[in-house]
Amino acid sequence: MNGRPDAPPLAATAKVKNAMRLVAVDGHGHEAGLRVGQTLSDARALFPDLDVFDDDPDADAAMLEAIAAWCDRYTPLVAVERLAETIAGSAPGLFLDISGCAHLFGGEEAMRGDLVARLRAAGILAHAAIADTPGAAWAFARYSDRAAVAPGRHQEELLDLPLAGLRLETQMLDMLRKLGLRTVGCIAALPRAPLAARFGNGLLLRLDQALGREEEAISPRLPVPELSSERIFAEPIALVEDIERTALQLAGNLKPRLDARQLGARTLELKLFRVDGHVTSISVRAASPVYQPERIMMLFRERIAGFHEDMDAGFGFDLIRLNVTESETRPVEQADLGGGQARGEAFINLVDKLGARLGTDRVLRFAAADTHIPERSFGLVAQAGAGNAVETLLWSDNQPALDGQGSAAVLTRPVLLFDRPEPVEAVAEVPDGPPIRFRWRRTLYRVVRSEGPERIACEWWRDGRGGQSRDYFRIEDDEGHRFWIFRLGLFERETHNPAWFMHGLFA
Amino acid sequence: MQGTHVRHRMEALQDAVARVDRRHASFARHARLREKDGFVRFGIDALDAVFKDGFPVFALHEVRCTLSRDIGAASGFLAGLLAGCMKNRAGRIVWICDPACRLDGGQLFPAGLAMFGLDPARLLMVRPADLKSALWASDEAAKCTELAGVVFQVKGNPARFDMTATRRLMLKAQQNGLFVSILRQGGEEEANAAATRWCVDARASAADPHLEKGIGLLRLSLVLERNRNGQTGQWTVAWNQHEHGFEHVPEDHVDRPAAALHRPDGAPQMGQVMAFERAS
Repeated sequence: MNGRPDAPPLAATAKVKNAMRLVAVDGHGHEAGLRVGQTLSDARALFPDLDVFDDDPDADAAMLEAIAAWCDRYTPLVAVERLAETIAGSAPGLFLDISGCAHLFGGEEAMRGDLVARLRAAGILAHAAIADTPGAAWAFARYSDRAAVAPGRHQEELLDLPLAGLRLETQMLDMLRKLGLRTVGCIAALPRAPLAARFGNGLLLRLDQALGREEEAISPRLPVPELSSERIFAEPIALVEDIERTALQLAGNLKPRLDARQLGARTLELKLFRVDGHVTSISVRAASPVYQPERIMMLFRERIAGFHEDMDAGFGFDLIRLNVTESETRPVEQADLGGGQARGEAFINLVDKLGARLGTDRVLRFAAADTHIPERSFGLVAQAGAGNAVETLLWSDNQPALDGQGSAAVLTRPVLLFDRPEPVEAVAEVPDGPPIRFRWRRTLYRVVRSEGPERIACEWWRDGRGGQSRDYFRIEDDEGHRFWIFRLGLFERETHNPAWFMHGLFA
Repeated sequence: MQGTHVRHRMEALQDAVARVDRRHASFARHARLREKDGFVRFGIDALDAVFKDGFPVFALHEVRCTLSRDIGAASGFLAGLLAGCMKNRAGRIVWICDPACRLDGGQLFPAGLAMFGLDPARLLMVRPADLKSALWASDEAAKCTELAGVVFQVKGNPARFDMTATRRLMLKAQQNGLFVSILRQGGEEEANAAATRWCVDARASAADPHLEKGIGLLRLSLVLERNRNGQTGQWTVAWNQHEHGFEHVPEDHVDRPAAALHRPDGAPQMGQVMAFERAS
């Protein structure tokens, strides 16, 4: 394909083996005799007006990833192939496992034609081949004009291909070539033991994989959704309302299948395939298993409303797919006799709505942890997080501290806690006593009353040998502000100049 | 002593009846039925005197502190108030935090909340990324009838959180039977639709009889700056950890009109803060 008939050839260059060399050449340049690996000065001698730009492997990888995302429209099993640099013909590619998908596109040949034509329309020249094994498809796509190989025939067809089609290292390939072994057929007939002894197991493995004697699994880039429903549009759609309506329809399509398995979706994903190949993926997480189409649509509506300024519809979407990526067994519910909402449903709806719009990591609940270090003793976890089972948290009113003194009538824990204790400059009468003055956030406080210390030892199993104990004091200044302040390190035993920290505010 | 006991028992029974009523009311919604239990008493005569029918639970309230460092006192008062109002009510409490508060105010400590009788497991913490979505979240939360309360924590006086926004919250609180509260950190007095507005300030605590320099019952100074259904006033209260409630601390040396207390400079201004168009 030559998209620039009047322009000079185009090549990408990079520094290889201490010289600027061509790493990619367009079709025009290839016809004219430019080759990958040529130095730039040689190429310039051939074509003084050669168009050159720097090679950008990251951009190449991103492009390949984007094409892989686009290929999801054909099959959920798309793998990006990343071979080592030393492999001959290691131009990266994609594997698509189209088992059971081809009939949706009118057969294998029609599917391949559709894929190549669409990529070509987007300005991408693709070589695609369909075969029984990934290895054979790899070889046919690169070293043969055969687009599709009839099922079961790939073994005979492979024999005529050059050995480079077996994904071998350049070094090994050179060696084989020197021995006069040029095609797959040459080595397929040879006895295996001497071959393995001479070239290692890699050669036989690749041969077996290509011929189908050895199983080879591709690793898909995304987990396969549990359920999926899609809709193709002859005329692309771009309006948010249309997208929502489609989501409702797709959710309606999924419902019978969810009902049949008594499942509800926890994580859903809406994939919007833009006409120009860009794929937008919106994923939402529900607080409890959902199966009602209206609730599923509501989740997406909030999500789309949250970021619809950023969503670029371009010329519209021609394929919309709804995936259930995570599902759970539905809890059995007894409906209200009065026909009202089930108990707790309004709250779950609220959590879903907030989570969909703000992100599930912003709708949180407290979870207790088994430790005495205050900032570690609790955490905030997503309300809609994994593990739907209701955890009963025990927050004891009576903290163990100071129980012996019979002063449970006192609040021993502050209402507000700082995530990171803030350093204060404090002056204490005795090194291990409470402070009498301290400066926090540039204000000086004079301590009138104080209680403590309450010693919280470090967790040596987590902090290591150097961890220091904390002595907590509850102190009150002359204006009545009450603080929770601690001294890090025991005087003389752990440190000689202990530091003071502000950790919380009492009421 | 006997009298209060009987009264508590009566209140508990009334609440039980009200709960049954409420369950029936869900079949055919009668807002009137729920109003019966929509009021609580503080158990402090001086405070209860300004609320004729009792403190209205199902309304929008505001708790504020003038200085940033008083947020501890304000949060503590709100926690006590919430615990008191939620004693006989099931349902979760949504606590929405404007991102600006998180920077210097620290975060809620569940162990400390539990000491005020507020079960941290009932809290749903919502932390939106900006004020706009925080307002949206508080609006959505106030719509939910299964909640017990909504707290919207905000720093200062953002222009977006104006009369209209507060009026909407107030209406939803009344309609859906929710305790909705604004917790304003370091903000100015501002006209809004709240039924009550409290300015909380920390006070030096009482001496502890058991310890020489010990901290006794913690005290808070409450200024009721606005009360839609009655008088305003100023009291000092102490938190009684045994009974999980506030008790009154009579202060004989303070005898000034309540309105002027939070304006130490100048003569007390006449009249009321009115809702005009915002300047900012």
